Amino acid sequence: MRAALFALLLAAPPLAAQTDSLARAFEMERRGNFAGAIPLFRSVLRTTPGNVNALLGLERSLMPIGRTSELVPDLRAALAASPNEPALYGVAMRTWNVLGQPDSVRKAAEKWASVQPGEETPYREWGNALLTRKDRGGARQAYLAGRQKLGKPDALAPELAELAATEGDFPASAQEWLLAMKKLPGYRASALAFLRTAPEPQRKDVLAAIAKDPSPEAHRLDAELRARWGDPLGAYERLMASLPPGKAQQVEVLRLFGESLRGQASQPARVALGRTLEAVAERTSGSQTQRLRLDAAQAYLDGGDRVAARRMLTGLADEGGTPGNLTAPATMTLVRLLVEEGKFDEAEQRLAATRGKLPADDAAELTRRVALGWARSGKLDRADRMVAGDSSVNGLALRGELKLLHGEVGEAKDLLQQAGPYAGSREDATERTMLLALLQPLEADTVAEIGAGFLALARADTTAAVAAFTALAGRVSPEKGGAEARLLAGRLEARRGHVKEAESLLRSTASTKEAAAAPAALLELGRLLARGGRSQEAVGVLEQLILDHPRSALVPQARRAIDEARGAVPPS
Amino acid sequence: MTTVSRRDVLAMMGVALLPLWVRRAAPISAPWLLLPMDDVQTEHLKAYGVTYRAIGRGVKAEWLLNYRGGSFLVPNDTATARDAALSGVTVEGLDDGAVMNIRGEIAGSNMDAVPLEKSPKMAVYAPPNAAPWDDAVTMALNYAGIPFDKIWDAEVARDGLRTYDWLHLHHEDFTGQFSKFYLNYAGSPWLADMVNRNREAATQLGFSNVPALKRASAEAISAFVERGGFLFAMCTATETLDLALASGGTDIAASYADGTPMDPAANQKLDWNRALAFQGARLEMSPTTPVFSDIDGHQVNSGDRRQPLGTFALFNFSAKVDPVPTMLVQNHRQVIPDFYGLTTSFMRRCLKPSVTVMGDEQGAPWAKYIHGERGQGTWTFYGGHDPEDPQHQIGDAPTDLSLHPHSPGYRLILNNVLFPAAKKKELKT
Repeated sequence: MRAALFALLLAAPPLAAQTDSLARAFEMERRGNFAGAIPLFRSVLRTTPGNVNALLGLERSLMPIGRTSELVPDLRAALAASPNEPALYGVAMRTWNVLGQPDSVRKAAEKWASVQPGEETPYREWGNALLTRKDRGGARQAYLAGRQKLGKPDALAPELAELAATEGDFPASAQEWLLAMKKLPGYRASALAFLRTAPEPQRKDVLAAIAKDPSPEAHRLDAELRARWGDPLGAYERLMASLPPGKAQQVEVLRLFGESLRGQASQPARVALGRTLEAVAERTSGSQTQRLRLDAAQAYLDGGDRVAARRMLTGLADEGGTPGNLTAPATMTLVRLLVEEGKFDEAEQRLAATRGKLPADDAAELTRRVALGWARSGKLDRADRMVAGDSSVNGLALRGELKLLHGEVGEAKDLLQQAGPYAGSREDATERTMLLALLQPLEADTVAEIGAGFLALARADTTAAVAAFTALAGRVSPEKGGAEARLLAGRLEARRGHVKEAESLLRSTASTKEAAAAPAALLELGRLLARGGRSQEAVGVLEQLILDHPRSALVPQARRAIDEARGAVPPS
Repeated sequence: MTTVSRRDVLAMMGVALLPLWVRRAAPISAPWLLLPMDDVQTEHLKAYGVTYRAIGRGVKAEWLLNYRGGSFLVPNDTATARDAALSGVTVEGLDDGAVMNIRGEIAGSNMDAVPLEKSPKMAVYAPPNAAPWDDAVTMALNYAGIPFDKIWDAEVARDGLRTYDWLHLHHEDFTGQFSKFYLNYAGSPWLADMVNRNREAATQLGFSNVPALKRASAEAISAFVERGGFLFAMCTATETLDLALASGGTDIAASYADGTPMDPAANQKLDWNRALAFQGARLEMSPTTPVFSDIDGHQVNSGDRRQPLGTFALFNFSAKVDPVPTMLVQNHRQVIPDFYGLTTSFMRRCLKPSVTVMGDEQGAPWAKYIHGERGQGTWTFYGGHDPEDPQHQIGDAPTDLSLHPHSPGYRLILNNVLFPAAKKKELKT
């Protein structure tokens, strides 16, 4: 007896040895040594065939090296040893699927379902397995079979919704997503992510499908899709018309809608956000209301609705009762509003009165904003005074701009170069570089026409800008900046539809043969002629660009324009 | 009043005022120009246009088969150099010694130099209202700047094909069933337009219905090949042309097309001797399934029969023994991503024994790119709709070939365009 027991102990590896084998197998798998991990997983399975961890490890190790078929004996042994272990059926389904045996996949799913009645997972895995083989029809049947067997009309709704969207049937997808959202509200984000990609022709049908459902979830989905599909104000109106009864629920719905609008930069979206925040503010109280009204004011201001912005700020920035933490943002919003309204004096006074309460960076930013307003209104001296001591990169950039508007080209170049690429946005930096390139050929320190031209542009007076740049082109030689000035004037004329004048200026620039301005003028002229239906002339001009200036960076654009003029590619 | 912001106008100045960069070498003074067609080439598709126009000016060009991706060699003249510069096509100047070296390399390898003598006169069979972006071949021809005439049933009926060397067919349904979209897309304006135009054409040309008109056009096209024409077909035109030819007098059209249902015994009555490429295929009898027969391996619109896209590989032929298929497969890529069309591929079991397969998917039962002869002429069938729009759904944005100047799939189309320019010699195909 003792001898027999001893023999048994020798035959069965102790539990510690198994654990060690499993640990070593996992480590090898982790290091990508699948071939080394396989025998270790197998050694564990030999003694405990139903060990789920070992079988899963073996599956993971065999699959990447294309040896999944070798899993079959271990899988069969595991299923025989532990027929009620659900995880084994997942392995079985994946294995049969890789081996191209759909009937075995189905049987495994059915067996799994019998082991775990009431669970969606077997049907989900079944459908997913078929999807990996691009069998969408089979996957749909698997999901629907699950829904029927489980007797739940919303079972596997997310899977069916995704499948319908993948197949391009977005209205059906919307119906399934609504079922999913009612079951688990967290699916809202997924529903939006899928449905927002619906192609234009299907959107009406998607909204019609959603409209059939009177639930609040459907109303919210409808509004959020409309907002994303370019109708944020319409979306807001529809949402407001279908708000749930309780104030708390209304706030929740409005807040979520507002979140969906925050990422959108269009003016209607910003106004819609302002209205949403205002609506939330009306349903809240205390300091939260003031914060919301301030946010609404900023959104209105971004959206260009100055009246609504001022309405939101009334009683907020104008009164002493504003909570301390809101003083700075309220003042900033109000000063922005005043600048946009052209009330620079008032803006300056308001800024001076509250400067001490504002963070230094915010105060400096507001100062520059007011200064820019003064400059655009033609009061350059007042603008100069406001930023005279600002040596930040943003200050240097603005001071350079102001010198430019004065026509003091030399100082403008110095200041703009000092500002470098660090001031403002990337677009600002690019614009500064272009400006420097334009100013570079000008030798004189003061060029009155440049100041007059750019000031006129800042004040949206294109006629005066053209006159100034043309005058400069007439005064200085092409290689000293005259060609660039004429090109600029030609482009301004082209942009405002003065074709004859633009053509004359651009042809004149092209004839200078000046290395940078001439090809640019030819490209602009070619595009102008093509837009006017003079394709053959356009092609001639663009060919001239390619042949006369083969090293110009504009050659690829010229070729593209030729292709478009000839109808060789679809219009841009 | 239109106003312009400073940012707008400076953005327009854009790269013009920034430092220059060198793209091209100085003018070439060498006596020969090589248009390399390997990865050095910056505009593969337009290189065909440059060569085509050079031939049109009477220049003796050569197609260097299997040499650097199937390059072109042309004498250096002002017009060709100018054309290449305008098109952005890479050219390399060669002196006589360098050309001699190339000829030596060609003589000792699986390469050949084929003279290109006469630019073929081209026709594209398409409805008058077809957009240029609806057909891969017209897109390729337009992009490369190769001129062509658009013809349709009226020109075909008036024996107009006699004036052309080369004819292209795209997604025309020669069974006359409006691509079998009639029931599934009922109410769509584009379908209504297609149906009306075809019915008007049938009435004007004295045919009782559209299937009868299309069958007559198919016969005329077959005769064009028989007389020595070059036929290049893609997408549905490949399959339906042969079905129309094989049908003879048998009714293979659904009742919405000709007023009578398809002959239930149509499959037994098809005469495949009349067809160019296929034999033994079985018709799709359902009028609602936009599939014509089992010739197509991918069955894109048949639900559960639809096959996924893979890649297809081009065959290597002996350039000196089989110059025709060699010309047709010249490319800088041997393996090309597949693309769907209403007819995407051709089941091997349906190909006549005389058909030359030039491209197929390894391990799949179908071919993608096939070629054959009929009488004095030749035909080439290329499955799929648009090599750069693999899924091609109705309503998709048109393909912009300037974004695909190296498209190997489109190169196959343009090989077919230049192939008729090759000087004929006794060829074994």
